[in-house]
Amino acid sequence: MEYAYYPGCTLKQSAFPLDRQSRKVLRALGHGLTEIRDWNCCGATSASKLDDFLEVAMPARNIGIAESAGFEEMLIPCSACYSKTVVAKTRMNRDPRLKQEINSELAHQVRGEIRVSSILEPLFDAARSRELGQRVSRQLSGVVAACYYGCMLTRFPLDVDLRDDAENPGFMEAVLEAAGGTSLDWQEKTFCCGASATVYDRETALDLMGRIFSDALARGANCLVTLCPVCQMNMDAYQEAYCSRLGRSRRLPVLFITELVGLALGLGYKELYLDRHFVDPAPLLREMERQQETEAAS
Amino acid sequence: MQEQTAFQVSGDAARELSAEIAGRSEQPIASCYQCRRCAAGCPVGEATGYLTPDRLIRMVLLGDRKMALNNDLVWRCLSCYTCGTRCPNGIHTSRVTETLKQMAREERLEPLHPKTDSFHRSFVKTSLFWGRMNEVGLMAAYQARVLWSCLKRRDFREMRSEISSQTRFGLSLFRLGRLHPGWTVSRGRRELGRLAAKSGRHSR
Ligand code: SF4
Ligand code: SF4
Repeated sequence: MEYAYYPGCTLKQSAFPLDRQSRKVLRALGHGLTEIRDWNCCGATSASKLDDFLEVAMPARNIGIAESAGFEEMLIPCSACYSKTVVAKTRMNRDPRLKQEINSELAHQVRGEIRVSSILEPLFDAARSRELGQRVSRQLSGVVAACYYGCMLTRFPLDVDLRDDAENPGFMEAVLEAAGGTSLDWQEKTFCCGASATVYDRETALDLMGRIFSDALARGANCLVTLCPVCQMNMDAYQEAYCSRLGRSRRLPVLFITELVGLALGLGYKELYLDRHFVDPAPLLREMERQQETEAAS
Repeated sequence: MQEQTAFQVSGDAARELSAEIAGRSEQPIASCYQCRRCAAGCPVGEATGYLTPDRLIRMVLLGDRKMALNNDLVWRCLSCYTCGTRCPNGIHTSRVTETLKQMAREERLEPLHPKTDSFHRSFVKTSLFWGRMNEVGLMAAYQARVLWSCLKRRDFREMRSEISSQTRFGLSLFRLGRLHPGWTVSRGRRELGRLAAKSGRHSR
């Protein structure tokens, strides 16, 4: 499938590994990604706090560009960009006057027909059709993952068509298991990490992250797996801070799902930028290799 | 006694405020029956204490404008959408907190959590200006606002701690090669600028 690809600002900066991994993994699964031309910031979670019109207008321009380039589906790895684009499209389709008002300023008009997907959708489809399983060259044995969805992947401030379950989603687990990993049932998979509150309300955010981490650890996870660049950054970069508040000495690497799928598809450690984490995932990878050797020997 | 109070305040003020907020936020707040499913799932409940989403809705329905426009939940709400996903009546309190923040800004109230306000303003301003969000530019704009307000309050301790924690974070990103030196810009900033002018509320 040929997708219109929207990376978003974070994926061009601190979360650039997610951009590179997404491209590589989807290419390995036989998909094509075309980055939409001259895309702009979606406004993330800030625009709606200032202005209801801008909340829709900012992602609208990107939708218009993707649609006028003739694409049927738009693929967005960042959860916040994905959510905001879905919200903008839904609100414009519900309110033709709003759509028209926005269109009157846009060079590329919004029709509002394009499908907007996170990258979890093609990954899940590949898992379900067994295609992912067939392409796996390195089983993820030894990976015991707490799949962490956060807020923006499954909950929306209005009614949208959602393929996964909002309260107990399972797409990430299905993908990991198709790649030979183990996933856990746990409590906090959709609990909020605090998002940008780490900047302006840090104590509150650290409490939330501590709660997520503690549950994952108590269930026996050896890594957290996520898709949202904000969740990944928060849970990884602030791990020292929230763990020391809780007096915990164990650390868990926080990986993008694309990193694990990439490994399973045979992509290399450096190629996936696995060396760019605050909590080093190297011990987990050694554990993986050890398990694979024992499996091969037996 | 309690009931009578509730009936008394449902006068003009209450009708006016609930209609305004229901209209702007597009939420059916009048159908709230105080079941508190929203409260049970709100992640900031421990930080806001008494003030849970159900009580915010109640406050609006009773017409307490001053409280509703500037309280801890309005400023601490993370827009996690848990309350709205669970509400049996389809009320998204996150939309209500957004509307209340916008109204507080329009009425030029001093925000209860100035740092939160500074962050979102800096985000939208810089993103509209460049057409894209530049992490370094955003943090510089945000820090400038925060440090300026520290300076006005002569709070030098807070100033020092802000500078040192942001510098430490920036350095650790740099060491991991995750701090981006380049600048990312979209020509779409012109179209965005026109759209922003159309809406006109954001720049205050
Ligand atoms: S869940 Fe809905 S109906 Fe129940 S108290 Fe909250 S807002 Fe009201
Ligand atoms: S959206 Fe806001 S009010 Fe609702 S549960 Fe989340 S933090 Fe609480």
